Amino acid sequence: MNRMTVTGKRDIIYSDQLGLVYKIRNAKKNGEPNFLTALKDVTLGVHKGEFLSIVGPSGCGKSTFLYVLAGLIKKTSGAAYIDGEEITGPALNRGIIMQQYALFPWRTVQKNVEYGLEVKKLPKQERARVADEFIELVGLSEFSNRYPYELSGGMKQRIAIARALAYDPEVLLMDEPFAAVDEQTRGFLHAELLRIWEKTNKTILFVTHSIDEAIFLADRVAIMSASPGTIREVLDIDLPRPRSEEMKSSREFARYRSFIWQHLQAPTDITREVLTERGRILAAEPNEVAI
Amino acid sequence: MSKALNLAGGYLKSILGVLVFLLAWEIASRIGLINNTFIPPFSKVVVNLAELIADGTLFHHMAISLMRSLAGLGLGIGVGVPLGLAIGQIPAVERFLGSLLETLRQTSVLALIPVFILLLGLGETSKIAMIFWGTLWPILLSTIGGVKGVDPTYITASRSMAETRVGVFLKVILPAALPSIFTGVRLAATGAVMLLIAAEMVGASSGLGFLIYDYQVKYQIPKMFAVIAVFSIMGLVLNFGFVNAEKRLIRWRPE
Repeated sequence: MNRMTVTGKRDIIYSDQLGLVYKIRNAKKNGEPNFLTALKDVTLGVHKGEFLSIVGPSGCGKSTFLYVLAGLIKKTSGAAYIDGEEITGPALNRGIIMQQYALFPWRTVQKNVEYGLEVKKLPKQERARVADEFIELVGLSEFSNRYPYELSGGMKQRIAIARALAYDPEVLLMDEPFAAVDEQTRGFLHAELLRIWEKTNKTILFVTHSIDEAIFLADRVAIMSASPGTIREVLDIDLPRPRSEEMKSSREFARYRSFIWQHLQAPTDITREVLTERGRILAAEPNEVAI
Repeated sequence: MSKALNLAGGYLKSILGVLVFLLAWEIASRIGLINNTFIPPFSKVVVNLAELIADGTLFHHMAISLMRSLAGLGLGIGVGVPLGLAIGQIPAVERFLGSLLETLRQTSVLALIPVFILLLGLGETSKIAMIFWGTLWPILLSTIGGVKGVDPTYITASRSMAETRVGVFLKVILPAALPSIFTGVRLAATGAVMLLIAAEMVGASSGLGFLIYDYQVKYQIPKMFAVIAVFSIMGLVLNFGFVNAEKRLIRWRPE
């Protein structure tokens, strides 16, 4: 497929002019159906092993895009690929982590983490061993036999991460995972996530509406605009790792922040022009982006 | 020692209302504040109850009553739970059957007693059928409610891990709906006892409901009250049993 020649070998996920149009139930007055464009020409390549954030305002379709990549929502045009294969449904090569944790309340921490392994049909002892390993990775070994209601929000999300990592997906798709926890816990979870990411070498696609969170975590930040939901710009984040809280007050961080801020506010028409002119915005290499 | 006393004291406090009520009953009946021909003193009821237990009458009829209610409840669960799961899963079926089910549910089973007798006669079948009918609705509706009330994020999480449809149903929808199903069964079970009395009062020759009716007709009022008391105790035991079973079965919720 020539798609691969376009995206390059490093791209584990490639979204090619992905579009999603909903037909709204309430028809217009003249009887014609109403359509809502949730995603329009979303083109994005995700490099293997990178941490990529997608930042955008509420309702811009960033979560929807993530769910399409997870195979949980069907696109209406374009295509998305993982390892060169078109995404047609959910599979264990992608793990999604949701804002609401979505741990099964009737299963203990251990059994929650084993869920994907059951789907994978791993034998019982092997499941327990792998689950132990990943519960330990997120630092919650002593809570193995607890039920989710006994855990705090931050702990639940760490277990959700362990559950997704346990079945060894290539890509973690994270949908505003830390939006529901308090500020201090969030800081701790950022550090934890980066530690886990470096240890497991996974590719992470992280959706957020927080500009600071997007910059702090990522190698690259994709900026998404609303109506229609599309990616405007992809920005390289050249901050050294490991990242630290102090970096948030550095000059570079401020420049990234203001760049993203401006692009989120820019009128949509400009993006449209760019889109029609270039076909896909991601063609812009990071060093072409003037800061 | 003091701990045991505290515990006993706490228990005593919790049943104080019942004790006061029984004492007031005893006194009111003895001093003639209420007509003791129709409402004999509680102590007399207890003595009669002991006689009924001793001569085996009570257990004979109780066994028959329990068999009927268990058969009816068993059928109610056997039909209500699978049907409810199916209806809750398929929105089209729910839209189609929703208003019909609502109407049938509102049709009192007591009003249908003559219909059951006409169709099924006076034997066991009609009594079991009545209890089945009465227990079906709470079980069916709470099962549908349970299935429809499953948090969609659980289903999404399960599907994202490439779970099959059957897997999602068995490992997510069913356990998530279980508390609601259990509540339905508990309501149905306590309702079944009530229905049983009505069913056995109309054209039966055995069972606890028949016994109450029979003693009333024969004017053996203390014995009648003794059987009524047995029903109260049965109801209490049943509810207690279900609440405890629920706690044991569903440990994943905060107390």
